[in-house]
Amino acid sequence: MSADPRPIQQKNEDTVQLCSVKADGGMYGVEASAVREVLGHALPQRVPLAPAHIAGVLTYRGDVLEAVSLRNVLGLQPAREDRVLVLEDSAGERFGLMVDSVGGIVTAPESARESNPATLEARCGAIFNGVYRREEGLMVRLNMEMLRPAELARSAVFSSSMQAEGR
Amino acid sequence: MEDLTKEFVAESREGLERMEVCLTELEQRHGDSELVGEIFRVVHTIKGTTGFLGFARLQTLAHAGESLLAALRDGRVQVTSELISGLLELRDGLQAIVEIIETRGSEGERRSDDDRELIAWMKELETGIAGRGAHSTPAAQSRDVGQSVPAHVAGAAENGVAKTSGTAEPDRTLRIEVEELDRMMNLVGDLVLTRNRMLQCQPGDSTYPEQVRRLNTVTAELRESVMRARMQPVGHIFAKFPRMVRDLAQRCGRKVRIEFEGQDTALDKSLLEAVRDPLTHAVRNAIDHGIEPEAERVRAGKPIEGVVRLKAYQQNGSVVIEVSDDGAGIATERVLGKAIERGLVTTEAAAMMTEREALQLIFIPGFSTAKEVTSVSGRGVGMDVVRAKVEEAGGRVEIESKAGKGTTLRLRVPLTLAIIPALVVECARQSFALPQAQLEELVYVPASEAASKIERMGSAELYPLRDRLLPLVRLGHVLQIEGSIPATRDLYIAVLEPEGRRFGLVVDGLRAPEEIVVKPLPTGLKDIEVYSGATVLSNGALAMILDTAAVAERGGFRAEAAEERNAEATRGSAGAEHEQTMIELESAMALYEGAQQQGDAFVRIAVPLSAVERIATVPLSDVEYAGTKPVLQYSGEVIPLEDEGDLLHELKGTVNAAATVLICRTGEGRRVGVTVRQVMDVCAGEFLPVDAAVCASPLARIKNRVTMVRNGFASALEGMT
Repeated sequence: MSADPRPIQQKNEDTVQLCSVKADGGMYGVEASAVREVLGHALPQRVPLAPAHIAGVLTYRGDVLEAVSLRNVLGLQPAREDRVLVLEDSAGERFGLMVDSVGGIVTAPESARESNPATLEARCGAIFNGVYRREEGLMVRLNMEMLRPAELARSAVFSSSMQAEGR
Repeated sequence: MEDLTKEFVAESREGLERMEVCLTELEQRHGDSELVGEIFRVVHTIKGTTGFLGFARLQTLAHAGESLLAALRDGRVQVTSELISGLLELRDGLQAIVEIIETRGSEGERRSDDDRELIAWMKELETGIAGRGAHSTPAAQSRDVGQSVPAHVAGAAENGVAKTSGTAEPDRTLRIEVEELDRMMNLVGDLVLTRNRMLQCQPGDSTYPEQVRRLNTVTAELRESVMRARMQPVGHIFAKFPRMVRDLAQRCGRKVRIEFEGQDTALDKSLLEAVRDPLTHAVRNAIDHGIEPEAERVRAGKPIEGVVRLKAYQQNGSVVIEVSDDGAGIATERVLGKAIERGLVTTEAAAMMTEREALQLIFIPGFSTAKEVTSVSGRGVGMDVVRAKVEEAGGRVEIESKAGKGTTLRLRVPLTLAIIPALVVECARQSFALPQAQLEELVYVPASEAASKIERMGSAELYPLRDRLLPLVRLGHVLQIEGSIPATRDLYIAVLEPEGRRFGLVVDGLRAPEEIVVKPLPTGLKDIEVYSGATVLSNGALAMILDTAAVAERGGFRAEAAEERNAEATRGSAGAEHEQTMIELESAMALYEGAQQQGDAFVRIAVPLSAVERIATVPLSDVEYAGTKPVLQYSGEVIPLEDEGDLLHELKGTVNAAATVLICRTGEGRRVGVTVRQVMDVCAGEFLPVDAAVCASPLARIKNRVTMVRNGFASALEGMT
């Protein structure tokens, strides 16, 4: 077949639906099944003393959720991120992911995924889960479980950046 | 777990709890056939259901119990203290298996020997050949301690935190009347209808205001309905106390009766769970430390049987639960002695404490008056935990005690936890919520006074509030969000007293008080500690709820400094400073500028800090004259002003027309006011040996300069060491 990795209707178990998001020009994909809702223009309330990767808190269906800034986690230039993906992990816990913009749903075949390059810095290695080549450029698949606030707080990779920026 | 099993576990727990109550009551009223019937039904139901669900072990045990109870019902067996012990043991055995089922889904095999022994005991009791010593009461108790009947009293004492049989895990189910649920459903239906109509409203629709009103009432009704469903009578947690008191009293060798009042008083389910442990601890304390041994009671002319009374009632929007005993009361001398020994207070501070203040000392962490660790009272876990737990739930703890008469502990908790009144404060343009329950008062400091009224001692800030110096904590500092706020702006001080530490929280602004809905924090933010929750304000903004105790902690408060009062307020503030700037109190000096000129600067004079009670800014109009001598009215007392160099006269022309006065205590204990030009600093000083011929007043080396120490106050200092 062709080398075009774009959605080809294949057998269901071999494809994954990704919600494409942008941060600082880069394109990233989050499993669509984990996305509960996309909130526009939702500005999270800043929380003093919170770790740097937490942009703030927001309410969603009566719960207070933490909003993780994707730019901060990836070590990109801080800028205004005004879209929030409300994600739900396998345990049913929800959190927000702040991104620049949200694109459409992309159906990506598992076979087209290329694994992380060996040269990838440790900071991103845990969060990136392979990459897809697309017409518009690369789309990096994000490992949603590693973006959970509890996970970010635990991983030593980020605590160093937290201390630097948290002061 | 299957639904059926789950339901069985919940039902059995409830039944076993009831059984416990009935058994302790039966001991008081031997002939009550209704009680026997009730106990019989519980065991019978468990036996019947287990047969159906296939829990053989539970069934065998329940069967043995049932046949003993049948004998009791038919009058073949008489109620004795031993029979009650045996049945309570049976209850615990059943409960243990039910708990295993709850956690594992199956009843497990271990400790089947226990069952066999228990079953044999039941048989003995039934056939009436018991009492041969094999299972006399003391033996039963050693079983309790030695073996692992779940989280029994002995085990609980070891854990330190109060837990009793069957209530180790907070109950996660709630019974609700179908009628109430129907009412809620109707309200939800109404809510949906109202929403639909509002969605159809066109801009400028005349019915819109009416819809909003409707929405308002439906929401309020729904809220009330849900709240009502969450309310539970406090009797639910009282129910387990008779058994606990029985066991404890036997172990301590005392006769104790427990009485209840106001069991129907309703309290929010979550709060009920929150006060469960503190209450258990309080009851345990009352028996272990409160009620005296029999001989002592006889000597004091009291009835042999001690009484512990649990009383619940509503008072101004909160529920009060009292635990009182008619025991020995708390001897304040012993409390003070212990506090001094532990270094929690200084001897001087202790000498000035009122009885009430001294009693508060038992709430300080690390304080325990028990002469020795007993198996009943915990190890090092004391009243501080009780207070912390109750305050966590938004409540307060009060204590009253009369030596020889008894002690009353009062837990005061809000009616509901979910919605609490709060004050919304602002700091760096962000809103934060402060629970009203912890708020003592609010003080407004206009910008014009902010600089002059707030005193500095080293790095600590103080505000003179009536007769005390209130240590201040700036919210902006604590949260590290203070931006470029000009120093000259209006300030508000919220006076708070979490866990007995009184301090003023300085904020930028106040908003109207609101009833806020408390939402739990997401997990990642719990580590920050200064927030206890989050809430959505009426303007839609999210606000964090401040945990005042943690704010105090972050503000540099140390527990020891907290309880010091009045004259000690100055020292309390020294405790509020950071460790590295801690000043040795014995030689701490307040340094001020006097009236006289010395070269191109004013003369520097020091006063021992221990003599300074307050630094006050006094408008000249408040200075009165007795003849030619200036005097000042200060907390109901007329005190003379020592006005060296006629500073008052000099100040008359100034804009503020106010004098700074150090209110000091002389060596003889009198109060005098000393007018000063300016308080410069508080710092450590070292007294120098002085030849009276050289200088009439004592000298000290302060900041490497020889400084005169004001006469008359040094003796106050010497008295300290």
